[in-house]
Amino acid sequence: MNRSLEVVSVSLGSARRDHEVTVERGGVTFHVARRGTDGDLHRAEHMIQTLDGTVDAIGLGGIDISLRVRDCVYVLADGVRLQTAAKVTPVVDGAGVKDTLERSAVTRLVADGVLAPGTSVLCVSALDRFGMAEALAEAGCKVVYGDLMFAAGIPYPVTTADELAELAKKLLPQLGKLPFHMFYPTGDEQNRPPDPRFASYYEEAEVVAGDFHFIRRYLPERLHGKTVLTNTTTAEDVALLTERGATRLVTTTPVLSGRTFGTNVVEAMARAYAFGREEPSGNALADVLQTLAIAPEVRVLS
Amino acid sequence: MAADGALSDALSEFADQINRDERLRQMIRDWNRWLRCVALDTGSSAGLRVQDAEVHVVDPPSEEDILLEGAEELLVGMFKGEVSPTEPYLDGRLRVKGSQEDVLRLDFLSLMIWGD
Repeated sequence: MNRSLEVVSVSLGSARRDHEVTVERGGVTFHVARRGTDGDLHRAEHMIQTLDGTVDAIGLGGIDISLRVRDCVYVLADGVRLQTAAKVTPVVDGAGVKDTLERSAVTRLVADGVLAPGTSVLCVSALDRFGMAEALAEAGCKVVYGDLMFAAGIPYPVTTADELAELAKKLLPQLGKLPFHMFYPTGDEQNRPPDPRFASYYEEAEVVAGDFHFIRRYLPERLHGKTVLTNTTTAEDVALLTERGATRLVTTTPVLSGRTFGTNVVEAMARAYAFGREEPSGNALADVLQTLAIAPEVRVLS
Repeated sequence: MAADGALSDALSEFADQINRDERLRQMIRDWNRWLRCVALDTGSSAGLRVQDAEVHVVDPPSEEDILLEGAEELLVGMFKGEVSPTEPYLDGRLRVKGSQEDVLRLDFLSLMIWGD
């Protein structure tokens, strides 16, 4: 009989997106559940405390514990609060796998000819995925990093990874202390209809990359011919992108029973499989991802 | 009521920092706002007008988009970059009234000037 592991993702996102699957990977049966708390930090904290010691790993969805930008790590107070709510079960936010998987996704798209020097890319959120941000720049793409626009409504496109790192240094030490919901859609905020303010940046881009909640928040009516490079998507999200004419959907994590789970889930699976509370070092996490056959997925939509 | 000394001077420094920075002016090009600061301990008050990508100190407006209230020393320190507004905001020493997006933009601007 296969070893059986239980992983739960506690998300600040809408409970409408809750889901459970059972998957076989690496000779192990994973029971994976996603539980949304509709933006309620207290509820998330309580849920983690209740799950602590009863499941093999907990993923944090819709919030980061820290953001890594080059050699700097910027801690987010609300994320740390949730992480430390568990004393026994490891709690992870996906940062450990993001760099690996997101760079792999960019490498794959370069190999497929979707990304090339000069390809115009809109990266709606880059500070939460600096590995991808840098990989796109290294591939020679013409990138607009939209963090100020899409997180704060400030009409300023960042156009180099160096400037992005500079902004991180100026903003994140203090912003990390603020309530997370001030700059990331949680709960019902995720269901708001799209805001057309920055539609021109979508129109100019051949590839739209970043967090799907931000992508969706400003999604224009037509995405004809565009590739979307993102993370967690449900069947409903895929239908929306297809309806709007997107050509290709690339997710940094694979489809598990009809949807992609966030990097926090994938990292939780890897931690449950091989590491427990011990922090993996070197290439250990990347090796486990390979064992579990976790890799970016490309879907042609139209 | 006319804009008062120390608070007005601090707002003036803040305005100058933005007005001479092309990047910051680009960040406010769509943002036309009235801001009022009130020192709860001394009664001092001052205003800022943000319009057409420029910031100017004005007499405190009668109707504002953003209202900041706190001790005068705190407000002066914030607008001179000597005090970060984050902790006073979180612990209630700084009261801010305005839309979340406006408050965040003001915070971003001050961090862009004095962050790091």
